[in-house]
Order: sequence, then structure tokens, then C-alpha cells
Amino acid sequence: MAVDLDRCTGCEACVTACHAENNIPTVGPGQAQRGRAMHWIRVERYWEGDFPDVRLKFRPVMCQHCDAAPCEPVCPTYASHHTEDGLNAQVYNRCIGTRYCANACPYNVRFFDFFNPQWPKPLHLQLNPDVSVREVGVMEKCTFCVQRISAAQIQAKADKRDLKDGEVQPACAQACPSKALVFGDLNDPDSEVSRLSRSPRGSKLLDDLGTRPKVTYLQRQSAV
Amino acid sequence: MGFVSFVSFAMMDRRDFIKLTAVTGTSATLASCGHPEHQLIRFIPDEELVPGVAEWKPSVCPLCRAGCGLSVRVMEAEADVVRNGQQGVVKIGAAKKLEGQPDHPINHGGLCPRGQAAIQITYHPDRLTQPWKRTGARFSGDMKPVSWDDAIAELAARLDALAAGNAQAQLAILTRPGRSRRLELFAEFAKRFGAPAPVAVELFADDVLRRANAMSFGRDQLPTFDLAHSRHVIGFGADFLGTWNSPVAQSFGYGEMRQANPQIRGTFVQIEARMSQTGANADEWIPIPPGTEGVLALGLARVIIENKLRPADAAGQAGRAIDGWAGGLSQFTPERVETITGVPTRRLDRLARLFAERRPSVAIAGGVALAHTNGLFTALAVNALNALLGSVGVEGGMNFITPFDAARGLAQGTANRDTFAKLRSAKGLLLDGADPVFASPKAWRVRESLEQIPFIASFGSFIDDTSGLADLILPDHSFLESWTENLPEAGAAVAVVNVAGPVMRPLHQTRATPDVIIEVAGKLNKPVGLPWKSFDEMLKASMSGEAWTAALKQGWTIQSSVGSRQSAVGSLQSSVPISSPQRNGQKTVSYSAATFDGDPGTFPFYFLPYASQAFGDGSLAHLPWLQEMPDPLTSAMWSSWVELNPATARRLNIDPGDLVDISSTQGTVRAPAVLSPGIAPDVVAMPVGQGHGTFTRYGSDRGVNPISILAPVTELETGSLAWAATRVKIARAGEADGSLILFAGEMREHPHEHEVR
Repeated sequence: MAVDLDRCTGCEACVTACHAENNIPTVGPGQAQRGRAMHWIRVERYWEGDFPDVRLKFRPVMCQHCDAAPCEPVCPTYASHHTEDGLNAQVYNRCIGTRYCANACPYNVRFFDFFNPQWPKPLHLQLNPDVSVREVGVMEKCTFCVQRISAAQIQAKADKRDLKDGEVQPACAQACPSKALVFGDLNDPDSEVSRLSRSPRGSKLLDDLGTRPKVTYLQRQSAV
Repeated sequence: MGFVSFVSFAMMDRRDFIKLTAVTGTSATLASCGHPEHQLIRFIPDEELVPGVAEWKPSVCPLCRAGCGLSVRVMEAEADVVRNGQQGVVKIGAAKKLEGQPDHPINHGGLCPRGQAAIQITYHPDRLTQPWKRTGARFSGDMKPVSWDDAIAELAARLDALAAGNAQAQLAILTRPGRSRRLELFAEFAKRFGAPAPVAVELFADDVLRRANAMSFGRDQLPTFDLAHSRHVIGFGADFLGTWNSPVAQSFGYGEMRQANPQIRGTFVQIEARMSQTGANADEWIPIPPGTEGVLALGLARVIIENKLRPADAAGQAGRAIDGWAGGLSQFTPERVETITGVPTRRLDRLARLFAERRPSVAIAGGVALAHTNGLFTALAVNALNALLGSVGVEGGMNFITPFDAARGLAQGTANRDTFAKLRSAKGLLLDGADPVFASPKAWRVRESLEQIPFIASFGSFIDDTSGLADLILPDHSFLESWTENLPEAGAAVAVVNVAGPVMRPLHQTRATPDVIIEVAGKLNKPVGLPWKSFDEMLKASMSGEAWTAALKQGWTIQSSVGSRQSAVGSLQSSVPISSPQRNGQKTVSYSAATFDGDPGTFPFYFLPYASQAFGDGSLAHLPWLQEMPDPLTSAMWSSWVELNPATARRLNIDPGDLVDISSTQGTVRAPAVLSPGIAPDVVAMPVGQGHGTFTRYGSDRGVNPISILAPVTELETGSLAWAATRVKIARAGEADGSLILFAGEMREHPHEHEVR
């Protein structure tokens, strides 16, 4: 994925879209106060300078799907692992809730289910049948909407063709009003995401940790 | 495991089936006579849904007047339903996700966070599921369920009583803002019944801008900005990437402006006293005192004229509307502009040259900049600046979509203090989703006025601070369950007409409000005879066959010719022409300093309420996704807060999260403090949205409502509420009480253990 911070307006459409797609529960004010609100993608804000010469920079942060993910080797049950496609995946029914992965993740993008989720009826009808509902005691995080990737792969296979660039969009990228989020195949040098990832504006989040994240941030430019 | 769950599901079905047949047996005696086919629960949905396979259907986002096109994912689901007293579980095609339509001319596939959450309106656990009639005191909760037949008979009887007493003119209709056929239907009903036209309830209304556009350009209409092709943008207080006008369309254009063209990156300057989410994206953010935006605009215009970057008469009528324009705006010397706005002359000069050189450029005025006593002056000044730059009606500039008839589909103005004073003598009120008790300053005494009205009927889907007063509740379908439509006033290069049919069957015993109005109209003793049998018939009649087919397929169509529209709703065709500049041609406006309620000695701070990114004007505080969505600038969830400059907070001994009393001449609210470097030291700001007395389990009694302490100051020329013209004082009221909930900055795993160490 590539995130163009020069397009991102900080509107949080990605945050709500992710909740809608991935059956992420709301925890309510009491648990949110205890730091247990779950947002697989969040918009961070960085203030620079003091009034009146002040600037604010937004940065959407989701699981960076690191090639050398610190969450993976610490998992005693291989719940956190790497897929052949290069996704950092979480197998919920392997997870025993040690939370080692969350402690190891430098991006703070993993969320623990402290409770069974609740959707007072008929709110349950909003649930996406393609995404498992996580129960108490497991760790969850951004999957790059793996259900959408799989569905598109199956469809492409049935049609006896390759996936087209831009055919798969995670919910966050689909919702983004200013098209700041671009998803695609990094192994395809001609894909839009590959092109953006080679941008001179590009950088990786906490790159010096050696995690080899797969999300490239294109920095916001300054006026000339 | 799989086998066990299969068995339990099968047993569940069987048990439900048995329960259902038992209920059906008893309900046969309870059922009202008439149409037996209405009594049956349909076990087999009409839709040919394949389990696990999604179908995508077009719809229209109902939340604001932008009119974004939706694509709704519909899949098979099991829903608990009650029909005619029977409970059961049925398989239905249920909406699962709302997405922006990729080829929609307004939102281009995107959707804002509020639009994403609109699905929770349909599935809200506290939605009104059937008609109710009040039996006890208002707000006592003493209501009894009634049948639709009884509810409609009751409404018809009440209206008949008005007609019998020759008091048709004492029926008031309050609606939500926006331009729609639904509003046309209400207006037509009102006209034929003899009641005044419906009035929209909207705190953050744009009446001032509409008036200014009518005076400057002869267009009584909100503007469309072609940001995708702009090279330079100056925003005057407009939160155009967050909540104002057509935010998704504008955000799309903004993204294109920044990065679509590899050679030219458009630049953006925002002028406002409190950094909005939009302002946070500016290359240059310039805070100036509230109410001086128009002076800065004319200061820029003067520099441009004086340096012969553009000729003064290029502004045409928009320039002539400004006092002293022909004389080169001699009164707005850079020195005077610096004195008033605090923007140094050199910076003014640079901004003006940038604006004139990086064309196409456009200035955007809206929101807080026009919510002062001199709002019309500010809007006209910015219009003149745009006209001077040749930025009106051009690529990359400010445009007005055509064809457009302001007399159609819009309410007759926005409810103000006078509206509610007059309501005191009304004999009946129809509420179509409006919540004026929440969205009006206390000084307007809206609740007191409404309590005087002997009969109030509400069509809304929820009990809120206003519909709690209703005597009769006839809940509407949700937008996903009914015909939905609107006529966007702005946002696209073309005039879009959004029309879409239901994407799913109604979950509850609700009825589409337009159909209820048509039915009631026909049942009156003196029938008012609306010319349609149903709302979809009206919609179909409003467009050509070709357009109708296109709309059914994709949920929208482009209104290409006025001709096809005339044949549409012939009886509604308005004779009011689009206002012409000549009409207001001779009038010029001059600058007068904005005035504020409250003596600056006692009330030293400007008070700026703002539309929150989560709740807009507050009408979405009942949706849990939006309650738990972190605010873009503060990361606050489920909270109210007040934003202070850190220097101000230091001076007043206020730490982050401390409780602060914010007092105006109208009253006091208490909220936790958020220290923000993006706000002037003499300004405090609060998001609008929380503080509902009654608004479902998620929105009731949460936080405070800043509208409640607004002074009833109006924009001088238009009479619109100047919602940014109140001064306040602030005082520390106590330590943090935990009511400010932030997503950022906490250790998530064991916050309390970390504190102990």
C-alpha cells in the first residue's frame, strides 16, 4: 500500500469504512476510556510549531505488513504469521491471547479483544458475513481486507485471467474521498502502488527498526 | 464442531418455526380486517439472493445535502421481525455496507465517515419500529402503540379539525435542510392544504452565501468548486474538506489538485481563527480575528487592482456590489488591513500576488466566516475577489450548476427566531426529521414555543429532544428501505438528480413518509388531492422515461434540459424566476466591524462552535461508529471538549483534561479542556454534536451542547443566526473527571499499571 500524505485530509472516512467492512466492535465510552477502543486504521496527528506559525500533519496508520515483522517470531502458536502473498496474517483460532505480538509491534496497530463483542439487535445485521467475528481473548488487526483479496483471486481464477491492477481495494482505500490510499501488487513493477512506492517522496514508517514495512508514505509537500 | 453448529442452527429454525405458527394462530383473532395478504410474514424473499454472494444496489446518501451516490452491498441475512403482532425470523436481503459509487459525478467512489455510518440508522436498536400515540405528559414516555390505520386516521382527524376551524394557516411544517422532491411533496401538500411552506431547520445554514451569490452573480445557489483544476485556493473559514457544502466532492478535487498533475501542485491558504480539519491541510494557515475575513479579501483585491494584476472592472456586478470598488477600494489600504486583521502588509502583498499569478485560483468563503453580524459583507467581498480574478464560471474556479431553480425542492428559508416565535400560535406541527430544540440557541425558546402547540406529529425514526414532544409518531422507513432521492445544489459539473429505489425490505412496521402524506391528503374531509398515488409515481413523473430508466439502473441521472423537467411535475412548476443581479443591482455594501454579544471586559474570548467531523450538526450523535470515531484534530471519542490555546490555558491554570466552565450571557456549559496550538489565544472553540437530552442509548446525556449558550445575534442583512458572534468567559472548574476520552497517547494494554509505576 502507498499512502499519499499530500492527498490525505485527515477526514477519518477510512476509519469508519474499516469498522463497517471488518466487523470491528465499538467498545463504548467506559472501555474506550481504559484505552480499549479498536481502530485497525487510525489517523495520527503531528503538530509542528507554535501559534500562529503552526502546522498539523495527518498520517493514517494501519498494520504495515512488515516483511520482517516483529510480531511474528514472538507468537508461541504461529497465530501471527506471513502468507505467501506477503501479508502479515492473524489466525484467530490459533491465538491464545498472550499479547506478545502487540508488545512487539512498534506501530501499535494490534488490538486485543478484552470482551466478546456485542451488537444489540438489529445492529448485528450490519455484520459482514465474509469476516469472522473475533471473540474474547484473541488479538486482531488490519488484514488489508484479505477477504476482498481472496474473493478477487477466486474470481480471476474462475475467469482464467490474472488480477488486474486496482481490482482489489481494501475498504479504507475504497472509501478515501481524496484517493490518498492506493493498494496493489508490489511484485508487479508496473502497478500503481509500485510506481508510487518508488516516488522520491516515499519513506517507510520507523524504517530504521529494520521491520521492512510494506506501506510507503509519500510525504506532504510544501508550497514553493 | 461444524456438525454441532449445523444441528443447533437447524433446531433454532425449527423452534422459531413452531413459535411462529403459535403466534400466527393467536394473531389471526387480533388482526384488523381488510387485507389478509398484509398479515403474512413472507418467508421467501423476493430477491434471488444466493447465500454468500453479494448484490450491489444503487442508493443515495441521505445525511446531508451533498447527495453522494451510494452503492449498497446486499446479502442474505436472518432478521427478527414483527409483523402485525407476529414475531419471527425471516431471511431477508440485508444491506451490509455502503460505498461510494465509483462513477458518481459528485463523490467519485469516495464517501465520508458519516456516510459510511449511515447504515447504522437502519439497524439502530433504538429505532422507532411502529406508530405511537402519546398518552401521558410530553417526555414522560407514556406512549401506546397504535396501528397504522389508527395513526393515519388520527392525523387526518387533526388536520380536518384545523380545516373545520379555518385554521389551515396555523399548520407548520419543519423539515431537514437539502433540496429534494420529498420537500416538494411537503410544499405541495402545504400549498393545497392552505398551510405556510415548509421551513428547514439548520444551524449551519448557508442562507448568507446564497443571498450573496444572488447579489453578485444572480445565482441564488450554493457554488461548486472545481478544485481539481485550481492552482491556488484561499479558504475563508470554510471547512470544505470536512463538513461544508459538498465535502466528498471537494476532497476529491483537493486530492487531484495536489498530486494529479506531476508538473503543477496546487497550493492552498486557509484563513480562520481556529484551525479546522480543512485548515490543517493548508500550506499556509493564517489566523485572523473573527469577523475580519471580508477586510482581508478586499485588502487582497486592492493590492491586485493597484498593481494592475487585474482590472477592477473585471469583477462586474460582483465588484459593483462593494462600496468603493470603482474607486479602487481606496479605504482598504494595506496598513488599515494590517490594523484590522493583523496580517502584515508584506504578507498581504505576497498573498495577493500569489493569488493573481497562480491562476486558475479560487477563494472559498463559508461556515464560520459568514456566521458573524457582517457575514453578507464577507461573502460579497470574497465573491468580488473571485470575479476580479476571473474565477467564476471557469475551469478551476467557482461554478454554478445548471439548470437550477432555487424555487424548487428547497424549503422557504431556514428557521430562525421569528419562525419559532410564530410557532407559539400554531395549532399543529409536522416534524420531518428536524430537531430544532437541540439545534437552536436557548434564547429562541424553541421548546417553550413547541409546548404551546396542541398537536405535533413526527415522522422521524428516533426520539430526540424535539420528537419527544410529539403527540403522534408515524415513523418513516430508513433510506435503504424506501425510495430515496435528492437534487444536489452543488458538487458536480453537471446538475445531478439522485433517485433510487429501496435496496431492502422494511425491517419494522414503518411507512414511507411521502406515501403517508399522500394517503392522509386523500383521506381528509376536504381532500387536498395530491396528483400522485405514491412517492415513486411522483418521482417517475418528474423525469423523462429515459432519465428514469437510467436512474433506476445507477441511482442517478443528469438533468440535461429544462424541457423534460417541465413536463415532469407540471403543477409544481414555479413561476418565480432565478433572481437577477439587476434586482439587487443598485445596492452596495460597506464594511462594518462585526459585533459580538457580551462585553469584552467580562467575556474576553470569542466563542466558535463548529460542525464536528463525526456528527455534523449533531444529528448523527446516535450512531455508535461515529461516537467512537476519533476526532481528526484531538482524537477524542464519546466526548465534548473545549479547545484552548496552550498560553491561555497556562495563564488560567488549566491542565489538559481539566474541567472548564464556558459562560456567555446566555448560560454556562462545562467541558474538559483540550490544549490546541491551532487556536488564537483569545478564541475558544467547541464541537457541536453532543449534549442531546434524549437521543437513543448512544447519544443521550453525553457531553454538552455549545449551541445552548449561543446569543441570539443575527447577520444584519439577512437575519440568519450569527452563530459565531458570542463572547464567553472561561474558568477552571475542577480536575479531569475522565469524561474526555482520547484515542491517542495512552498505553493500551495496562494503562493503570503503568500509572502505578
